[in-house]
Amino acid sequence: MSADSGGMGQMPGSGSPLLEVKGLSTHFFTEDGEVRAVRDVSFQLYPGETLGIVGESGCGKSVTALSILRLVQRPGKVVSGQILFHGRDLLELSREEMRRVRGRDIAMIFQDPLSALNPVLRIGYQVDEAMHAHDKVPRNQVAARSVHLLDTVRVPDASRRVRDYPHQFSGGMRQRAMIAMGLANRPELLIADEPTTALDVTVQAQILDLLREMNRETGTSIILITHNLGVVAGLCSRVIVMYAGEIVEEGPIEQIFENPQHPYTWALLRSIPRIDFARHDRLRSIEGLPPDLIALPRGCKFHPRCPFRVERCLTDEPSLQTVKGGQRAACWVTMKRAYEEMGAADIIDTRPGAASGVHPPGFTLPPFGAADGGGPTGPSEVAAP
Amino acid sequence: MSIATEVAQEFDAGVVAREQVSLWRDGWQRLRRNRLALAATIFLAFLALVCVVTFFWTPYPPSVFVGNPYAGPSLAHPFGLDEYGRDMLSRMMVGAQISMAVGLGCAVIAVVVGVSLGLLAGYLRGWVDSVISTAINIFYSFPTILMALILYIVIGPSIINIMVAISLTVWMDMARLVRGQTLSIREREYVEAARASGARTGRIMLGHVLPNSLGPIIVQATYIIPSAILTEAFLSFLGVGIPPPTPDWGNILGTDGLPAIRFAPHILLPTAILLSVTLLAFNFLGDGLRDAFDPRQKR
Repeated sequence: MSADSGGMGQMPGSGSPLLEVKGLSTHFFTEDGEVRAVRDVSFQLYPGETLGIVGESGCGKSVTALSILRLVQRPGKVVSGQILFHGRDLLELSREEMRRVRGRDIAMIFQDPLSALNPVLRIGYQVDEAMHAHDKVPRNQVAARSVHLLDTVRVPDASRRVRDYPHQFSGGMRQRAMIAMGLANRPELLIADEPTTALDVTVQAQILDLLREMNRETGTSIILITHNLGVVAGLCSRVIVMYAGEIVEEGPIEQIFENPQHPYTWALLRSIPRIDFARHDRLRSIEGLPPDLIALPRGCKFHPRCPFRVERCLTDEPSLQTVKGGQRAACWVTMKRAYEEMGAADIIDTRPGAASGVHPPGFTLPPFGAADGGGPTGPSEVAAP
Repeated sequence: MSIATEVAQEFDAGVVAREQVSLWRDGWQRLRRNRLALAATIFLAFLALVCVVTFFWTPYPPSVFVGNPYAGPSLAHPFGLDEYGRDMLSRMMVGAQISMAVGLGCAVIAVVVGVSLGLLAGYLRGWVDSVISTAINIFYSFPTILMALILYIVIGPSIINIMVAISLTVWMDMARLVRGQTLSIREREYVEAARASGARTGRIMLGHVLPNSLGPIIVQATYIIPSAILTEAFLSFLGVGIPPPTPDWGNILGTDGLPAIRFAPHILLPTAILLSVTLLAFNFLGDGLRDAFDPRQKR
């Protein structure tokens, strides 16, 4: 793909944003109540930038992505906000206008390439289809470009393999075929929703290499959605951490990894198994479960699991505040204070309120280690790099 | 490219060398193992051949006097002659042509109507689904024969009209089936992926949803054929089907065979048996196809 190597990975902040999400809220109107899956999410993405969105299952990452493409299905609905793509609000477009954006300007690849490929259609047909839906690639060049694309994403013997069915491809090759479909119309933005989760570790690395290469060579911006911090570290220049449908922290990747300011980010990073930790150390999980999105707690949504909570966290909701150049966190305490005042560096007991001693009325924390034996509750879904 | 990548690619390439078996070949191989279905297929192939031959040749003209009325089977007329001295074998052959034509024609109409409405209802949901589902329920609430009878009388006798009349009584099963299939397939990730790639709604319905429900549609169509043949025979039996002197299985049974059942059973019996065996063959074939397309039956 040499013809379209226009933008080299530009630095964030240069020029006007490619995508600007403002106050996006997406709710699901179920029989049990209104599930407020995404609330007041705002972020920007610049041309050529790679942005990671991380968080546990059910924290609203995928719904955010689907909202951008307006693919949220009933009973879900984008209830407020703006999604400006090149300054044009996607939420205002007609259905046909939106269809022309999908796959052409913004493409998406999915978690499980086996279920995202139609089992009864040939790979080539499915790559062709992405181009036939738009007139960006001349009709008589579609078949040749399919082979070329599969070749580019390193499907071996592409000219023969276009005639294969998905079940004849291995997992890694299926995901490469998905990426080929995503890149078919040279989109400006590629949204990759857990693109490596269904793959084994060696293949994960290849897929990430491929995405990095595509970003560098074609200048395609990438939003990478994952629960795997290692994957984000390998590809993204900036990262957004989501918790319970909100952005709790965002910033440049190095800053977030080296100096997380939100206790949730801090806990996520601590839960990664590290080769330089003593072997007898128990893997540190985050105690408790994410809140019910129908009945959200008052105040900070993380306070029921936060060891550093203060009185204010129980009642007032924090908003994103700049903590350091380009890094913002939604926290009344922030890790800076937790380190200085609560001894966060040496903390072992990470149960809610353990470090600060702040609890809701009528709640007492049993002594640490008293009822230890059941192991950690509510394992957080954060995998190793 | 790292060594790991190269090794992985070699591995990728190696996995593929497995034998390619397409859905259709796989289905055919499994159908062949089912003896009843195989016998049914052979019988129906023979019947189809007879129908083709009938276009060019019958032993005698089917609607012309060629010997003694009510004459029994003989070498010249293996199935005897009817009350007007017409050759029964020739009449059964032409009858087969008409019955098969009606059966297949109805299946085609029911498939086109049922599949389109089922796809629309299942994929678009909302008010479209409400309208189509209500229509299905209304059509179900009519007695089949009575409705075919009324329709046929209203739109007048001809082979096309009888097909339309019968089709209107059998499309609902197909529509319901396809609607159900569509409702489940539309939630699959590959449909979402197709939407995300900007594919048009019609393209998704015809290119993704339809091919994935082809198996059940074919099975259902196989069941429509015998029920259409039976309905047509019954209408003709009642004297409101294909107008005489053109023979079809229904009027051979009703107009020619039944009055003579006591003294010339050779008019009714062979046609009745042929009709039953044909219906049975279609049903066996349908069962065989259903099992062949059902992945859970895989051995």
